[in-house]
Amino acid sequence: MDNRSSSLADTLERVLDKGVVIVGDIAVCVVDIELLTLRVRLFVASAQTAREMGMDWWTDDPFFAPKAVERAAANELAAENAELRERLAVLERALEEKRP
Amino acid sequence: MSRGLYAYAITRDRQLDLAGPWLIGHRGLALVVAEVELDRFTGLELDEPTEDSPLAVLARYHDAVVRAVFQREPVLPLRFGTVLDGVDAAVRLLSARHEEASAWLDRVEGRREWGVRVRAPEREPINLDEMSGTAYLTLRRQRLNATDAVRSGAAAVHRALEQRAAESTCRDLSGDLLLEAAYLVRTEDEEDFHAEVRRLTGELGLRVEITGPWPPYSFTKVEFADA
Repeated sequence: MDNRSSSLADTLERVLDKGVVIVGDIAVCVVDIELLTLRVRLFVASAQTAREMGMDWWTDDPFFAPKAVERAAANELAAENAELRERLAVLERALEEKRP
Repeated sequence: MSRGLYAYAITRDRQLDLAGPWLIGHRGLALVVAEVELDRFTGLELDEPTEDSPLAVLARYHDAVVRAVFQREPVLPLRFGTVLDGVDAAVRLLSARHEEASAWLDRVEGRREWGVRVRAPEREPINLDEMSGTAYLTLRRQRLNATDAVRSGAAAVHRALEQRAAESTCRDLSGDLLLEAAYLVRTEDEEDFHAEVRRLTGELGLRVEITGPWPPYSFTKVEFADA
């Protein structure tokens, strides 16, 4: 009687959040089901987010993440800046050497 | 009170060997129960739900018992954590809810639940270095149109599957999900149902994830107040 083939998130979502609810005197709810149900929703949501993070194809896609364009542009600027500083340093050293 | 009668499911009163849990029968219906230490159910946390956390173990077991019944008889799974005072309470419940429970059992008989999740296809990232402004805008427009197309595609998948199911229910979407639904499918329609999922998602280039078969958890959302 085991079912490891279903994901824990899917199983929890169904077992905790679905099915027949018995209310009244004869049912003694020892678990705070409402609280657990709320938490399982959060867990299912975050498991899904995690799964999506594993396939984070859009984070660097400028179409879905305009910031990716900004990031790319910023990187380019930084690289250009570094290269110019480098060239300036070479020129300054050359000038220094030519000084009598 | 440190022990109670944990109730897993309602089913028809039949001979079932469940290796632990047993049946309390009453007028053709039965409650699947087991005596439990109530301590095991207090202070359960979901903070780190790994496979060996107490909640996960109990939930897996609950599901396993429901499934064991489900393999042989129609079943109404009870919400996790339902505990009764004793055999008398179980009989009172079955007696008070006899008609409703019987009707619900008829409704789910010969049917199994399948979960379907649909996502958009994965796309190549755009390489900005080798792209002119015009080319980028063209691609952007293409992708916007493609996004609309996969959305309506997912809606079409749902409409087609709904037709092949006895009942269906959609859940809230999160992240990049285009469809998250559960379908209660007659066993004789399952082959057709699965063929349709594969055919449509294949044609539309959608990513699909199917879970199941499940006992009818998503289709027995009913509240029984005791007498």
